[in-house]
This record gives sequence, C-alpha cells and structure tokens, in this order.
Amino acid sequence: MGNIFSSMFDKLWGSNKELRILILGLDGAGKTTILYRLQIGEVVTTKPTIGFNVETLSYKNLKLNVWDLGGQTSIRPYWRCYYADTAAVIFVVDSTDKDRMSTASKELHLMLQEEELQDAALLVFANKQDQPGALSASEVSKELNLVELKDRSWSIVASSAIKGEGITEGLDWLIDVIKEEQL
Amino acid sequence: MSAHTYKKFENSTSGDLPDKMTIYQDCMNTFNESPVNSKRCRLLISRLLRLLAQGETFPQNEATALFFSISKLFQHQNDPLRQAVYLAIKELSGISEDVLMATSSIMKDVQNGSDLIKPDAIRSLTYVLDESTAFSAERLLKSAVVSRHPSISSAALCTSYHLLPISEVTIRRFTNETQEAVLDLKQFPNQHGNSEYYPNSTYISQYHALGLLYQLKKTDKMALLKLVRHFSENNSMKNQLAKVELVKIVNDLIYRDPQLFSQFRPLLSDWLSNKFESVQLETAKLITSFATRNSRLVAPELYAAAISALQSLLTVPRVSSRFAALRILNRISMVSPEKIVVCNPELESLINDSNRNISTYAITTLLKTGTSKNISSLISTITNFIHDVSDDFKIIIIDAVRTLSLNFPQEWKSILNFLIDVLKNSEGGFKFKNSIVEALIDIVSFVPQSKELALENLCDFIEDCEFNEILVRILHLLGKEGPSAPNPSLYVRHIYNRVVLENSIIRSAAVVALSKFALTKNDPTLYESIISLLKRIANDKDDEVRDRATIALEFIDSARNKDDVIAQNLIESKYFYDIPSLESKLSSYISSNTDSFATAFDVNQVRKFTEDEMKAINLKRKQEQIFNQKSETTLDTTPEAESVPEKRADANSFAGPNLDDHQEDLLATKYADELLSIEQIKPFGQLVNSSRAISLTEPEAEFVVRGVKHLFKDNVVLQFNITNTLTDIALDNVSVVCTPEISDEAELEELFTLQVDRLLPSEEAACYVAFKKLDEIVMEGFLNNLTFTTKEINPDTNEPFDGDEGFQDEYEIDSIFLNAGDYVKSSFTGNFSATFDELPCEEVAVFNIQEDLSIQEVVDKIILNSSCLPVESTQFAPSDSNSHTLKLFGKSALTGSKVALQIKMIKSSKGLALKVHGKGEDSLLCSDLVNGLMQ
Ligand SMILES: Nc1nc2c(ncn2[C@@H]2O[C@H](COP(=O)(O)OP(=O)(O)OP(=O)(O)O)[C@@H](O)[C@H]2O)c(=O)[nH]1
Ligand SMILES: [Mg+2]
Repeated sequence: MGNIFSSMFDKLWGSNKELRILILGLDGAGKTTILYRLQIGEVVTTKPTIGFNVETLSYKNLKLNVWDLGGQTSIRPYWRCYYADTAAVIFVVDSTDKDRMSTASKELHLMLQEEELQDAALLVFANKQDQPGALSASEVSKELNLVELKDRSWSIVASSAIKGEGITEGLDWLIDVIKEEQL
Repeated sequence: MSAHTYKKFENSTSGDLPDKMTIYQDCMNTFNESPVNSKRCRLLISRLLRLLAQGETFPQNEATALFFSISKLFQHQNDPLRQAVYLAIKELSGISEDVLMATSSIMKDVQNGSDLIKPDAIRSLTYVLDESTAFSAERLLKSAVVSRHPSISSAALCTSYHLLPISEVTIRRFTNETQEAVLDLKQFPNQHGNSEYYPNSTYISQYHALGLLYQLKKTDKMALLKLVRHFSENNSMKNQLAKVELVKIVNDLIYRDPQLFSQFRPLLSDWLSNKFESVQLETAKLITSFATRNSRLVAPELYAAAISALQSLLTVPRVSSRFAALRILNRISMVSPEKIVVCNPELESLINDSNRNISTYAITTLLKTGTSKNISSLISTITNFIHDVSDDFKIIIIDAVRTLSLNFPQEWKSILNFLIDVLKNSEGGFKFKNSIVEALIDIVSFVPQSKELALENLCDFIEDCEFNEILVRILHLLGKEGPSAPNPSLYVRHIYNRVVLENSIIRSAAVVALSKFALTKNDPTLYESIISLLKRIANDKDDEVRDRATIALEFIDSARNKDDVIAQNLIESKYFYDIPSLESKLSSYISSNTDSFATAFDVNQVRKFTEDEMKAINLKRKQEQIFNQKSETTLDTTPEAESVPEKRADANSFAGPNLDDHQEDLLATKYADELLSIEQIKPFGQLVNSSRAISLTEPEAEFVVRGVKHLFKDNVVLQFNITNTLTDIALDNVSVVCTPEISDEAELEELFTLQVDRLLPSEEAACYVAFKKLDEIVMEGFLNNLTFTTKEINPDTNEPFDGDEGFQDEYEIDSIFLNAGDYVKSSFTGNFSATFDELPCEEVAVFNIQEDLSIQEVVDKIILNSSCLPVESTQFAPSDSNSHTLKLFGKSALTGSKVALQIKMIKSSKGLALKVHGKGEDSLLCSDLVNGLMQ
C-alpha cells in the first residue's frame, strides 16, 4: 500500500516535513503567474504583489511550501526576511526585458551571497519565451553570469508561464536535486 | 491551565503580566516552526496581544522580527489562527512599518477567504494600505461593499471610511455603491432557519454606509440636502444609529446655513416622536442647541415639543436615556433656565434616582432653574443629599451652588449658610473643601453684604483645618477683606493664632495677612498691636517667616511715617499684574538676554490692573465659563469635529466672548513684538493699541488671510497674516494693496508696504502696510487686494523651479475698517451711573436696524465694535424680553480719557431701534464712537 511508502518517506524526510521554496525575481517577471500555474494549473490574472503569496502544494508526494515574494524595488529589501530554512530558490527572469537584465543579475548575486541561502539550490526560469524577441535560456544565462556560481546546484530552463511550458521540467530538476542533496 | 492560574492571569492589576522576553522568544520559535501548530500559535498571539494591550511595547527591531515571523503564519490555512494574525498585524502596525508586506496575503483572504474571516481581513486592510497601495484594493473593497453579507459590507464600509484620508480618489470611485448600501437591508445568511431569538440583522451596515456617504459628500451642501430628503422617506432607515446619524447630518447642515432650519421643521417634529429614544434625544438636542444660537428661527411650538420629549424621557426605564435627556436639559438650564421650569416635577423626583450620576445632575439642573422662590427649599433638599455622595458629586453640586450665588446675589444668606454647613460638617478631601472655599471667596468678593458673616465663619473653620493650601487662601482673603470690615480686630486675633500654632508655610501667609491690618482706617488702634505682633514674629525660627515680618515692618514704617505710596500699594495690593503678559515678557527677557542680566527686567512693560478691573475681569471670566459650557453644545452635535466650520472672529458672526482669550492674548503679544522689531516701524514710537485678528477670507480659502490693526500716535499699520494652503505652489512677492474707500478725502497717507518675499506651501507670514495719520482720530475703510506671483514647486527641492517666471496674480480679500472703537480700550468702573453722570461731553444717536437680528446679536456686535467693557452684566440680553439696556465703559487708547455708553434697545415688528447715549471727556472721541457704532 502507498501508505507504507509514504511513511517510509516521512522517516527519511522527517515527519511531515515541508520543503520551503522561494520564488524571487524583478517585478513583472511572472512569479505569481508561475506560482498559481503550479498550484491550480491555470493562468490567473495577477496584480503586482505587495508583500507575498504563499501556497502549499503537493508535488510528487512532496509537500512544497512555496513563497512568491513581490519584486518591486520597495519590496526587494524584505526578501531576506524570508530566507531562513529555504531549500531552493526559483529565480524568474522576464526574457524580453533586456534593459533590466543587469539589475536582475545584480539582485540574484546579492541574494546568493546571503549566509542563509548557502545550501539552497537555484532554478532560473527564462520566462516569457512565448514572446517575440525573448532572449534564449543560454543568452539569459550569460546575462546573469550563471557560470560564475560555485558550490551550488543550479539550472536554467526556458519557460512560458502563460503557455505552461518549461515549468514542470524545471521543477522536476529542482526536486531531484533537493532529494539528492538531502539524502 | 488550572483555574487558579487562569484567575491569576486575568487579574490585570496584580502586575502578573507574562514576561515580555519569554513571550517574544516563544513567539519567534513557535511561529517559525514547520509545520505550523495553529492552536499554540493562536494562544501565543493572544498572550502577545494582552501584553500590548497593557501598554507594553517592543523596540522596533523586535517588533519587526515579530511581524515577519507572524507573517509566515499566512502559509497555514486556519480561520481562527488567521483572525488572531490580523489582530496582531493591527497592533504591530503602530510599531513596525513593515506591515505593508502582509498586503497581498490579506487581499487574497478578502478575495478567497471564508465568510468568517473576510470581514476581519477587510478591516485589517486599514492598517496595511498606504497612499501608494490603496488603489490596488479598490476592486476588492467595491465588491465587498455590495456584498449581501452584512458583516462583509460593514467591514468594507468602515475600512473605506478610514482609508478616506489616505486615498480619497480610490474611495470616491464607489460612491454609488455606498449610496445603494444605505438602503440595502442586508440579512445574515439563514443558518438556523428563522429564529425569533436571533434577529436576522441589526442593519448596522446602513449606519456604516451613511457615515461614509456623509464623508464623501460633506462639502456639497446640495448633495447632503438631497441625501437627507431621500433617506428620511418611507421609514427606510431601520438601524437606529443610522437614524441618529441622519439627525446629525441635519444638524451639520443647519449649523452651516441656519436658514435651512425651516425646511427641516416637519421632519424634526416627526423625529421627536420616533420609536427610538436615541433619535428623540438627538433631535431634541439639535433643536434646543440650535435655538440658543438662532432663537428667532425656532418656532416656540417646536421648542416646546423638544422639551416635552425630553421631559418624558426623564421617566423612561433606560438609565442611559434618562441621563442623556437630563444632560441636555442641564445644558439648556445654563442658558435659558426659564424654558425648562416645566420639567421641575420630574427633576425633583430624579433627586432620588438610584443612579448617582442622574441624581447629581438633577440637582445641579434644578439649582439653575431655581427661582428666588424655591431656592431655600432646594438648598435644604441638597443639604440632606450632599452628605452621602462621593466627593466628585459633591464638587459638582458645590459648583452649581456657586453659580447660583452669582445669579441670585440677594439669596446670599441661605447659600452662605449651606456652604458653611457643608464646610464644617461634611467629610471630604482637599478638592471638595477647596471648592467650597472658592465658592465662599466668590460670594465675599461679589456680594459685599455677605462679607462679615462669611469671614467670621471662615475664621472658625481655620481653627482646625488640615489643608495648608486652603488655610493660606483663607488667610489671604482675611488680609484682603478684613481691614475694611466693621470689626477688623476680630480677624487679627484669629490670624495671630495661626502664627502661634501652625507650620512655617501658614505662618508666612499669616504674617502677610496681619501686615495689611496695620494701615486700616476702621480701627487706627490696630497699628500699634500689629507692629508689636510683627516685631515678635521677626524672631521666628523660620527664615521665610522672619523675612516677611521684617519686610512688612519696613513697608508699614515707610507707608505710615514717610507717606511712601509704593510701600502702601505693596501692603494693600492695589494693583495686579496680568499673569499671561508677565509670563511672556519674562520668558522673552530670559531668552533675549544679551548682557548677562545687567539690565533689570522692566516690570512697567507688563499690563497692570487695578483691583476693580481685576474683579471685572474675574467676573467676566466666570460668566464666560458658563457661556462656554453652553456653546459646547453646538460643537459636539455635529457629526465630525472637523466639519465644524471654523468660527470667523469678525463682527458678523461674533458669538459672545471668545473661547481662547488666553491664546489670543499671547498671539497679540507675539504680533506686537514682531512688529516692533521691524526697522522701518521703529520711528513710529510706542504701540498704542492693537485690534484682535480679523478673518478676511473664508477659512477654507486657498489663501487664508487675517488682519490686525495697529495704532501708533501718528501712524496706523495694517498687518496681514497670510497662510498659503496650496500644496504645490509657492507665492513670491506677496503684498496687500489697500485702497481707502473714500479716496478723495483720505486722511491717511500711505508710507510703505513690507512684502513677503516667498511663501511656501502651508507657511504663514505677515506683510504690513503703514500709513501716516493726519488727524488724531481717523476712521476709514480699506478695500484689500492680495497680489503675488505664483510659482510651481519642484517636488525634489521643495522650492520653485529655477528660472520659473511665474504668474502675476491677485486675490480679493474682505475689507478692513478702522473705526472709533480702535481708539478705545476697555476699562472698568465700579459705579457706572455716577461715572456716566460726571462725564462732561455728550452725544446721542438713534439707529434703526432693519435686518432681522436678535438683541443678543446686536449686543455682541456693539461690544466688539466699541472695544468697551460691558458692565453690570449687561452683555447678556434676556431671551424673554423685547428691550435691553447695554452699558459700556472704556478709555481712549491715545489719551486715556474716559468714555461711557448707555444703549437702549427695543425690538418690535419693524426691526430693532437703538438709542445710543454717549458721554466722555473728549467730545470728538465720544461722538465718533457713538456715530460709528453700527458700522
Ligand atoms: N507573455 C507572457 N506573459 C507573462 C508570462 N508570465 C507572466 N506574464 C505576464 O506578466 C505580467 C506580470 O506577471 P506577474 O506574475 O504578476 O509578475 P510578478 O513577477 O509576480 O510581479 P511582482 O508581483 O510585481 O513581483 C502579467 O500580466 C502576466 O500575465 C509569460 O510567460 N508570457
Ligand atoms: Mg507577483
């Protein structure tokens, strides 16, 4: 019975343990859209997030506790208040927003320097691929200087939250990495 | 938790608060746990809230940490926990600025939460939204306002009400929805079938909607009128608070425009018999307080109906209604006691009401409606009553008796006996005894016949009085009044007893009192005994006592043997300094000290009053206190304190003596100091007189201007204080162009104008226009125009943009009149008719006023115009008579010559006829004052 497996699983992961995942990125990148795409599988109409949205979702028998923080300049300073106990960070980039790639890169590296996030895995979504003129995943990776990252599991996935492309692929990778690292 | 500890926790006075640091640590640990333990978190939040409710606070960093850990609880969907979280956010919003981080999460609950938490979520939006985020809640709030669920709708309406000052534009977008919500009778979703025990709704959302709607429309009179008409139809208001609010809106409307009253008459009389007591009360309050200001506009039948509604409310079972009705009657009793005499039987039976608040109020009201016929019987009723109520109530009663003594001086004997009885026989603390002594002091000062009896009894009382302060006051009174009493030596013995028996504070006071008897004319033999007593005291073991005795001996010696007037004045306290002016002069002396105090303080700068003037001022103050208590009624009936249009202190709306005399005095001193420090003004010499500040614009105008007239021997300076109320415009080169009304025969020659170089938003500054006066008394009106250049403000620098030329503009403000009254200062005379007869010059004028003004309004206007002091309490016109005589006394500000006016007024159907009879030492001033009185 499934129960036996899940209780074995519980032992490995600590009882009922939830995984904390943060979704970060500049305003308008598509974070909230991705969160609800993951939770209800639909595109919702969003408003700029003042503060955060938090949802608990089950994914492959795991309980994920996903925090989507607002990306507006005034809210970014508060990101750090939610770093503790984070297993992974999903960093969302609007691939069409070439002007702000450097800002995104700066915020990303600043965040990764934080002590509390040293063990967190990083998944970057090069989002809005459905739009004409979107930079490809490798172009975004270059803009963000991802190769410079040391001692960290990271990956970049091209995605479109609107069309639902790339999101599960990215998350699958992330869950695999976390399981591996925590086992 | 055991019952025992539970009790301990509940007892908030025992100081058994949970430890702050423990709670903080527990919160931080528990809230960050995963998974969330909702029960435990809720419990911890309630402890935290209890701490905060007891006034504990956390330093900002801890509050922030607490907030963030609490915000993490949003990950857990649990309604009871969520409610606790909202409460915590509300409390922390005062300490931590980071609460905005909860915005999105709260908004999500507003959208998707259960009906249980939705209202709470909506209400907590008030604390997290600010100017920049409020708009994002617009759609949510709008759909909540129209929700069928009364709690959700109410929450949204209240939140909108609170957000109004933060983001008016947003809230205005759902004015229509709000309007609909007023009439929408929302019911709770039917959970338990129709139950007769649980009403389906209180319809409270009607009240909330109406409150918000009023805020949205309050600047638009026509809209408010429409609103009242619309909502008072068909009994559409089910909620009683909503009905009361409607009454308050009417009150606001008639306060702004008294002429509207007549159109509300049918509505008001209907409301007087409304099924809700609170509606009756509010309506009666509205009618009666409106009538104190605009008696002409209230039909006697309506007024009588209001009184009779109040009368029947005095006997209803509900305590709060009885109390409220009584409170309104009590206020009326201060202004027109004759109007509520009909309620006396009910009032008398309320003396035995089991609620002490009610019985005390009943007594004080009765004391005011008292007529000379029933005063003594009333007094004996209170005598029985007063001994078994608490000090607070006793004090209220004593104050009422004190007012009585001012109103019925001829009843002094029974009042005095009552006061003496309670002073000697009633138990009570300092405040209580002090209030009695104050009442006695009043009687002694204003009712001379009472002096002997009162002083004698006070002498008895001080033989065993335990309160230093009261003893000192009585000793002072004995020293002041004793020497002129028929038998001064009696008091000397009592005073000297204090020197023998009491502590040094009292001994010092006794010494001063004793010394005043040395010069008494009633009993010259006292001189010797006082000297020998003082000599004995000069060996006292206390420094202060000794010093005072020695000084007193010196003074007495100089006064008696060297005819030294100063010493005599000091002993007999012939004059008094004006305390506010003394205070401000002293503090400016200390702060502007340039030579380490080598120059002594010049006490001659300070205003002085003679004893009679002082008495007049005190009497006036006491009467004003009564007056002010009654004008309160007009203020707190309006729905919002801020909606009360600021009173314009000009002649047109002058409503009796000013509330803030002291404030005005200080302001006048400040203006004068500023003026005299201006280089160009210095050659004008001494400032002779300054007027009160006069409003020259509506208080809500873009530029608010107040004018002050300053008079010098040969010059006149008009000061204009300008406030720039615009938020984004600076005014440059602001000045006022004054054009004399009768320009061809101008007896004033304009010398110069001092402009304000730059007036930034919300700043106030003064510009001046100076004239040379070609005659001693010049009367003139000035048309005034404000001229300036507007420049837009650069939001980055808060200064105008560089190189902006701006726009030249002007703005017309009200005229200012320089009239005879500006040359007069009020003064006091003890015996008006004698003074009046003695004055040599005479002028008579007759005026006819067609305008529909009450006698009181004319009296107020004349007092203001003439700058004279009303004497013999003639400033209060009786409300039940068609004639009145006003007596005024003053002195020329330039020469000090006396002037007295006696003004007879008769009101008839044709209007108001005035006969002004003026007398003075200076014929020019007298005739100018008489002829210019009604300008
Ligand atoms: N074309 C396209 N539009 C997207 C995509 N993902 C999100 N958007 C749109 O981008 C806009 C912003 O999306 P949000 O999810 O609100 O962005 P966010 O990152 O949460 O923004 P903040 O809350 O302000 O930090 C919305 O109009 C989305 O519909 C995408 O993959 N393709
Ligand atoms: Mg978002």
